Amino acid sequence: MKFKTVGHSEVRVDAMAKVIGEATYPEDFYMKDMLWGKTLRSTKAHAHVNLDTQDAEKMEGVIKVFTYRDVPDNHHGVVLKDHEVFCSKKVRRIGDPLAFVVAISNKIAEKALKTIKVEYNEIPAIFDPVEAMMKDAPLVHENHKSNIIFHYKLRRGNIEEAFKKCAVIIEKQYKCGMVDHGFLQPEAGLAYMDGDTVVVCAATQYPHFDQLEVAEALHISQEKVRIINPAVGGAFGGREDITMQVHLALATKVLGRPIKTVYSREESFLAHSKRHPMVMTYKTGADANGKLLAMEAELVGDTGAYASWAINVMRKAGVHATGPYEIPNVKVDSYAVYTNNPFAGAMRGFGATQVPIAHEQQMDMIAEELDIDPITIRLINGFTLGSTTATGQVLSDSVPLKECIEAVENSLGIKNHYEEKMEELAMEAGVGI
Amino acid sequence: MKKINLKINGSEYSLEIDENMRLIDLIRDVVGLTGTKEGCGEGECGACTVIMGGVTVNSCMVLAFQANGKEILTIEGVKGKGNDKLHPIQKAFLEEGAVQCGFCIPGMVLSAKALLDENNTPSREEIREGISGNLCRCTGYNKIVDAIEKAAYYLVKEAEDNEI
Repeated sequence: MKFKTVGHSEVRVDAMAKVIGEATYPEDFYMKDMLWGKTLRSTKAHAHVNLDTQDAEKMEGVIKVFTYRDVPDNHHGVVLKDHEVFCSKKVRRIGDPLAFVVAISNKIAEKALKTIKVEYNEIPAIFDPVEAMMKDAPLVHENHKSNIIFHYKLRRGNIEEAFKKCAVIIEKQYKCGMVDHGFLQPEAGLAYMDGDTVVVCAATQYPHFDQLEVAEALHISQEKVRIINPAVGGAFGGREDITMQVHLALATKVLGRPIKTVYSREESFLAHSKRHPMVMTYKTGADANGKLLAMEAELVGDTGAYASWAINVMRKAGVHATGPYEIPNVKVDSYAVYTNNPFAGAMRGFGATQVPIAHEQQMDMIAEELDIDPITIRLINGFTLGSTTATGQVLSDSVPLKECIEAVENSLGIKNHYEEKMEELAMEAGVGI
Repeated sequence: MKKINLKINGSEYSLEIDENMRLIDLIRDVVGLTGTKEGCGEGECGACTVIMGGVTVNSCMVLAFQANGKEILTIEGVKGKGNDKLHPIQKAFLEEGAVQCGFCIPGMVLSAKALLDENNTPSREEIREGISGNLCRCTGYNKIVDAIEKAAYYLVKEAEDNEI
């Protein structure tokens, strides 16, 4: 079959504007009579707060200081509505928004921020997700009885019986850290009124979700909110949650004038989600031939102060916990846990990125114990057409894992000479399977 | 306030500016050329790269008054007039799929131009060195290097054709 587009190289529709400097990102919009907004953010991880905004409000050039009192429905969040638009009683992480200053210039707004007095009464904070699961741990959200907000269970076969038959069992714990998307365009936005419709122009991965969240927080109908998504300077999952959209919408609705805000790189780091750090405890067993018989894993995902996409991310981590290997007996428990760390959400791979650190290291160690090379152990256990995954899915088409491994093996010329060849290659450059 | 004279993309400007104004703010907020991007504000990412007096600078790290008497080239000045007058670097970026989110591209194109103005047959290593001050989070750089290599070829060919 011949296609018009598939199989051909096409120039992106927006590439021309981008190479000549005419693509417009949110910070490239300027409007007449535009005001500037700046966000006051928490400097403590867990504290009760009191704000005194009087000095800022009296400052020449300051139009208004918005706080939780100005928000009709002071909540937002993609899955759980656990963010406050502006914190009312307590902050749950460094970077939590407390107030939004609107002034006639960016400089004045910045100056006014410094005059806001914030009284913090610090309370015990929790930064370790495993400790946060314990009964006596400080609660990040009082309306949840526990910091555990999600538990995904996967059960297949009988691991106890299967581990008894294993010739080798490897038990290890793996930890991976927090990662920021580092998209190149820091968050920026411009909002204005078009008749009685609130228009918010911001780089986002979810304009329809933003519309819903803005409408809910402002207590207006969705039809009265328009989200314009101009050029987006990278996202990688980091723009799947609201940042300044509600702040801007609220300010323009109340003041009737266009409001613009541009985050610095530093504020961008504070404002958006991170990749979930995980603590992954694995027990994997195989028979003497290297055939995997059983795997048990506990995954603890630190979602920080807010759930964001934690439920979906930790479910996916749980589903992918075996890696691309057929294992007849599997038990996985995957948790999403609140802490007072920066909040974690979507980032490239959505939970499937962390678990390979654990399951692949387990494979290497099993291979080493049994004196099998790392390629063979993967070929013995890898998914192929007709394989059943731990969740019971039968893979009925397109499972090219083994072809892929064999192609790597052939191109490195390591077939049947794994050890010598790898040593030789390692002299030239880093190499590993 | 300070009065400065400078040339941007061939046009003369005579402006009254604050002493603490940065060059990027002059370019974007005063002159209105928004193709120059700010990614970090501290000279790490290179998104704000412009060519000043023939060399690349991070316009977030240069004060506007330092541009007094200088000639500046921003992304808007790279192509000729009319859409079909793309610079060979821009043409190669399009053809090689070097553009994704695009936020680094103005800076990349200018760094590539400064490199190719000096050396029209750079090795891949020299190209990588030439764009080492410009971060890109989307492409993994390979297609950008491919594009600059192709642009060098176009420029050499163009020079040969002009000789004939």
